[in-house]
Amino acid sequence: MSSDSTWAAEARRWAAEAASVFVKEWRCEFRTRYALNTLALFAFTTLVVVSFSLGPLGVMKSQGTSVLPVLLWIILLFSVAAGLPRAFVQEEESQTATALRLAATPSALFCGKLLYGLTLVLALEALVTPAYLVMTSLDVASPGLLAAVLAAGGYGLAVGSTLVASIIAQARSKGTLFSVLSFPVLLPLLVLAVELTRGAVTGDPGGVALPVLLLYDAAVTVAGLMLFPVVWNP
Amino acid sequence: MKTLFAWLLWIWISLVIVGAFFYAPVAESFRVPGSSRIVFFHVPMAWSSFLGFIAAAVWSVRYLLRRDPRHDRAAAVAIQLGLLFGVLATVTGAVWARIEWGAWWNWDPRQTSILAALLFYAAYLALRQSVDDPEKRGRLAAAYALLGLVVTPFLFWIVPRITFSLHPEPVVNASGKVEMDPRIQHVLYASGLGFAALFFWVHNLQCRILTLWERKSAP
Amino acid sequence: MSEPASLHFENVRRRFGRLSVLEGVSGAVETGGMLLVTGPNGSGKSTLLRCLAGLLAPDGGRIAYRENGADLDAAARRRRIGVVAPDLAFYSELTVAENLAFFARLRRVSPEKGLAVLDRLSLPLDRMAGALSSGMRQRLRWAWALLHSPRLLLLDEPFQNFDAPGERISRELLAEHLAAGGLAVVANPFNLDFDHVERLDLGR
Repeated sequence: MSSDSTWAAEARRWAAEAASVFVKEWRCEFRTRYALNTLALFAFTTLVVVSFSLGPLGVMKSQGTSVLPVLLWIILLFSVAAGLPRAFVQEEESQTATALRLAATPSALFCGKLLYGLTLVLALEALVTPAYLVMTSLDVASPGLLAAVLAAGGYGLAVGSTLVASIIAQARSKGTLFSVLSFPVLLPLLVLAVELTRGAVTGDPGGVALPVLLLYDAAVTVAGLMLFPVVWNP
Repeated sequence: MKTLFAWLLWIWISLVIVGAFFYAPVAESFRVPGSSRIVFFHVPMAWSSFLGFIAAAVWSVRYLLRRDPRHDRAAAVAIQLGLLFGVLATVTGAVWARIEWGAWWNWDPRQTSILAALLFYAAYLALRQSVDDPEKRGRLAAAYALLGLVVTPFLFWIVPRITFSLHPEPVVNASGKVEMDPRIQHVLYASGLGFAALFFWVHNLQCRILTLWERKSAP
Repeated sequence: MSEPASLHFENVRRRFGRLSVLEGVSGAVETGGMLLVTGPNGSGKSTLLRCLAGLLAPDGGRIAYRENGADLDAAARRRRIGVVAPDLAFYSELTVAENLAFFARLRRVSPEKGLAVLDRLSLPLDRMAGALSSGMRQRLRWAWALLHSPRLLLLDEPFQNFDAPGERISRELLAEHLAAGGLAVVANPFNLDFDHVERLDLGR
């Protein structure tokens, strides 16, 4: 049917738009290295501080399983807060947002920025997690579950941060405001992710927590797709 | 009409207070049974705080649909009142926790959840403070309120299920089954209704005050 | 651009804090016509253009853009307009060609039109957008504005920073646009000698 083919063609064009936003973000990023440097520097500095303050003998095994997963997610959370909001703040500050508002379809723009944020977070996790496990001598009983938590939790961090970044980019005092606004939104994600990470370390499957985390990811994604056009355009 | 409502409200709440101390029995299962009377105030305050959130979300949707500044103002006032009732609920809860378990704060999931909700309210108000243009402020605040609506149920309903809770199950029970003395239920629900009515009455007053304020300061 | 198009705005109001910048401004522009908005600094010319572009929500009044008898909403209107404005900026880490290609993909057109305009304006494609002089940046704004063959041009100080050749070519582009049935709203202190010019003076 012709209506099906136009729908498919429209979807393809939409996807191409989102993809071009994604490509543009990474192209600019590779030429400036700003976000990558910020994230990596922040993450490794925090990592060293954590490892240093835990001491050369590390943490007792019994305390380790309750404390160390929390610290990992704190490192990830603060690294993301340091490096991700720039995706929208930079557009407003360099005044490229005007051109973007006139040219882009909001939902495609949101998805392109989200994908960029997601790849940043996943890259961050890939760098930080092995280093963290080594530096804290933490043994993980089920690496599969840990990978799943990092993926689902990382996605949650990306989608929540992208949406909040788009809100604060249009306000004053963006740096502090991002932390203030994103923390309540990301708190359920962090609680679930820490619980599941603990489960991955001890080998306990964690029951209903992983589906709930995925539900959170889905809910915030839908909210983002619906709310971003409101945030973006007057 | 409004004066009649105000009088009815005062009478209702007075009856609730009397009922809380003379009609309802104490809960014998508590360490200090007399302290259980706090439930008639602490729980409805928490309910009203959450009511503020729902009201703000509804007003936010209405604002986004019609872009009427009065709806934006109503949403902001609802959050302010939600914050007020939430702080009261947290404080009364801490007092109760001290009496019952010996510590003001235990980081049990319900206490943590209401604290997170308060952080959300404060964040919403901080956002409003950071945007000067009224149209942009209304739009961004409404979006954030609705994002909060999507996220908060995860805190309230899911976190307590997953982690162990110190909160007394028979009294503050999320699964719906209530196993308490009927007289306690009567006063509790009457109080809940009273606090909800109080919320809307104060909300209405505050919106009218703000409207007058704006009219006065407009050139 | 054969179907008729028109832009009407009535009683547009906008204030910033206590300052009322636009107090009930009305105007209209039809196919092939141009509306020249004049007035001293601070009279609201840029604000009006931003409202017409959908970048700013007016506090009151109505803005209606019609094509072929049908009213287009703000999102559809955005697709039909091309904007040149002093605060329009592009990605300084991308070249001129990369910038245009990116926006062409967003607009879902091929970048040819924009590249052709750039060619006329003699702007080097491989120069980093951050390394452009102010005159060259203005040329890039014109190329960007015409990229998707818009029906309505909203031009805020369109000849700013231009040298003589730049100004000449962009006037030609504007004349061609109007001759082909396009509409234009121009905020510009300099006089433009065109037919079908309506004037709207925002001065007090």
